[in-house]
Amino acid sequence: MTMTVFAQDKPLSLDENGKLIYYEVVEAKGGAIDALKQRLDVFLKAQVKAKTLKIKSKAGDSIQQAGGKFAIRKTGLVLSRPSGEVLYHFYAEVREGKYRFWLTDFSFIPYERDRYGNFVPSTSIGVPLERKPGKLNAGDWDAYVKAATKDVNAFAVVFKAAMQQSSLVPPVSKAVPVISTKKW
Amino acid sequence: MKLKSALTIAAMSLASASFAQEAAKVAPLEISGSVDTYFKYDFAKVPNIATSFASDQNSISIGMIDLALKKTTGKASFVGELSFGPRGQAGSLLSENGESFHIQNLYASYAFTDKFTMTAGFMGTFIGYEVISPVANFNYSTSYLFSAGPFQNAGIKGTYAFTDKVSLMVGLFDDWNVYTDVNGVSHVGAQLTVSPVEGWTAYLNVLSGKSAGAVGVGTIMDLTTSYQVTEKVKVGLNAADYTIGNDGGGYSGAALYLQNAFSPAVSLGIRGEYFSTKDKMNGAANLNVVPGESVTAVTLSANIKSGGLTFIPEVRFDNGSADMFVKSSLLPTKSASQFSLALVYAF
Repeated sequence: MTMTVFAQDKPLSLDENGKLIYYEVVEAKGGAIDALKQRLDVFLKAQVKAKTLKIKSKAGDSIQQAGGKFAIRKTGLVLSRPSGEVLYHFYAEVREGKYRFWLTDFSFIPYERDRYGNFVPSTSIGVPLERKPGKLNAGDWDAYVKAATKDVNAFAVVFKAAMQQSSLVPPVSKAVPVISTKKW
Repeated sequence: MKLKSALTIAAMSLASASFAQEAAKVAPLEISGSVDTYFKYDFAKVPNIATSFASDQNSISIGMIDLALKKTTGKASFVGELSFGPRGQAGSLLSENGESFHIQNLYASYAFTDKFTMTAGFMGTFIGYEVISPVANFNYSTSYLFSAGPFQNAGIKGTYAFTDKVSLMVGLFDDWNVYTDVNGVSHVGAQLTVSPVEGWTAYLNVLSGKSAGAVGVGTIMDLTTSYQVTEKVKVGLNAADYTIGNDGGGYSGAALYLQNAFSPAVSLGIRGEYFSTKDKMNGAANLNVVPGESVTAVTLSANIKSGGLTFIPEVRFDNGSADMFVKSSLLPTKSASQFSLALVYAF
């Protein structure tokens, strides 16, 4: 792993069904299958607790499936607001000494501003991200794909880091020095 | 060395993850808004249909510029939304004389828990399907139910989410559409939100109280619901009944909305509406519909989107139970029709 993932995102590819996909097989040298399974469970539980993923039914004997979403924001010099969200499915499978994971089924749901000034989903059924938009919305659509690609890469970095750790150790907080005014 | 690199990456990843969580708690200041402008032509060559906002005849006219700010810090948030222009001023509530702008939303919220939130201030009304902002409406001209009902309510309300599918809001409110209630906090309101299946949400609303100068207590019961049937097809319904005590009249009606998205950029929608004014001794006309009479209206609109811009061509046909419109000769007639083109830009 290098820092290049922060500088240049790995682009999404098309799978055999024509769907956009981020797919990666990671060699985990010395990683026993039980340890990898445990790390995957820890990661998923943490994401569920943080409400960033929802566990779906297992896609296979050993494949874990979860659903999540990335918020897409429109930002400018003086502007920042959510413009939509990209829904996705996350799959992961572990074997002895390696694991693979992929994110796919990307669909975009545009936001609209409601009567209270909040941005909310304008529909409940997303448009597949691989669908080519018409000329009228090509620019916006490219921005959504780029934003989703960036979020997917960031997700992959966090996931792979979690799969490298034997356990998540909470950071130790330093005691704040206290000045006693009674002793002098 | 490898271990050190791995730990460094892991630490950075955790840092970025925790940063993301922190960023979610302290969201940046959101700035958004819209502008809208329109051309309307009534075929009787005079303003005829009592729609809100798109009222000028044979004129390229402006709606409003709307500017909204939102900030969330932890469990607290505020929304401030100001509009400038006829749609936000005389078209909505207050006289253009002496008012240089109109507040659309000005409230603060605090989420005590994931399930319970309190909000206080001046807010867009929870009643009805359509709203003042042209961004959230499919049709540019507005329904009778929208124009006759409340636009905004100042008040304090608590919302409790029982589950992801059921929530209840209860609040105390001022009179409709005022910044200050001269006869005290006079209304009580509630909204039950139900989402039985994905894509279908229904709001059951009630707002009741005696407004300053009213002959009796006014109670509005309202059902607003929409269902995203497929990726392309959406159905909406609004039904409402407003009754004022002491034979003060009121109105009732229903509007059905059908929309089809041919592509993400092009949609077509039709609105059919029935609206009647109650025939009571102390009743008054609502939107040119005198007590005991009714009107049906059909509005066909397209939404053509490019980036933040939406172009809305629209035709509308209204037919009354009695003469409530005028011909070009200014003689009374039962029907009226109009054509409009609107540009709405949201940012």
